[in-house]
Amino acid sequence: MTSILFILLKSPNEYSSLDHIAAIGGDEMTGAILFEDAVYFAVDRAKGRELLEVTDRVYVIKDDLAARGFDTVPAGFQTIDYPVAVDLIMEQYDQTITV
Amino acid sequence: MTKTLTIHIRSGTMMNMDTNVMVKLARAAIDKGYKVNVFGYGEGVMAIKEGQEPKRFPNVGKEVDELAKRGLVMVVCETCCAARGLRRGEEIKTTKIGSLTNDLSRFVAESDRMITLAR
Repeated sequence: MTSILFILLKSPNEYSSLDHIAAIGGDEMTGAILFEDAVYFAVDRAKGRELLEVTDRVYVIKDDLAARGFDTVPAGFQTIDYPVAVDLIMEQYDQTITV
Repeated sequence: MTKTLTIHIRSGTMMNMDTNVMVKLARAAIDKGYKVNVFGYGEGVMAIKEGQEPKRFPNVGKEVDELAKRGLVMVVCETCCAARGLRRGEEIKTTKIGSLTNDLSRFVAESDRMITLAR
């Protein structure tokens, strides 16, 4: 089974749909790292739920969340730092796809 | 054997924070003992321009130079540079103006993982 780590950089409002994540991920183990304005997925309840429905795990870059004035995330999201992001990219998942 | 990460950057230094993500990922990967390559394409070539002096943002050029001295290999697309008037000799000395065919293809072949930072 292949595992796929999706990289999200843009605000939830810049994605018209997350269907392509579901389509690419299929039955594989999937995760998503939220960088920059993508951390707003962890703030916007509706968009956050939508993302959690199409991925198995969602990781939020703590620095980018703090830079926008937030320090906590709802259930289902996990804050991480850059060293952990590197572990996920290099060791925990088989490939990354930027969407 | 040391694993290799290649970062493909296609955003410019003053467009958004993608180049800062690039620097932070590269630094964290080097700190962990990984080999790191960066290939700049499109606006991503501007990260190697010497003499960057942003007033209110991190200095990506300076950070790239510091990481290059710790092993980072950064190469950018020659055609993209020419299109933007970035000429040989204007690049940070620890970086290189190269090509998709010679450098990105080699990075891809050598890498264990590749990540793209683009819009």
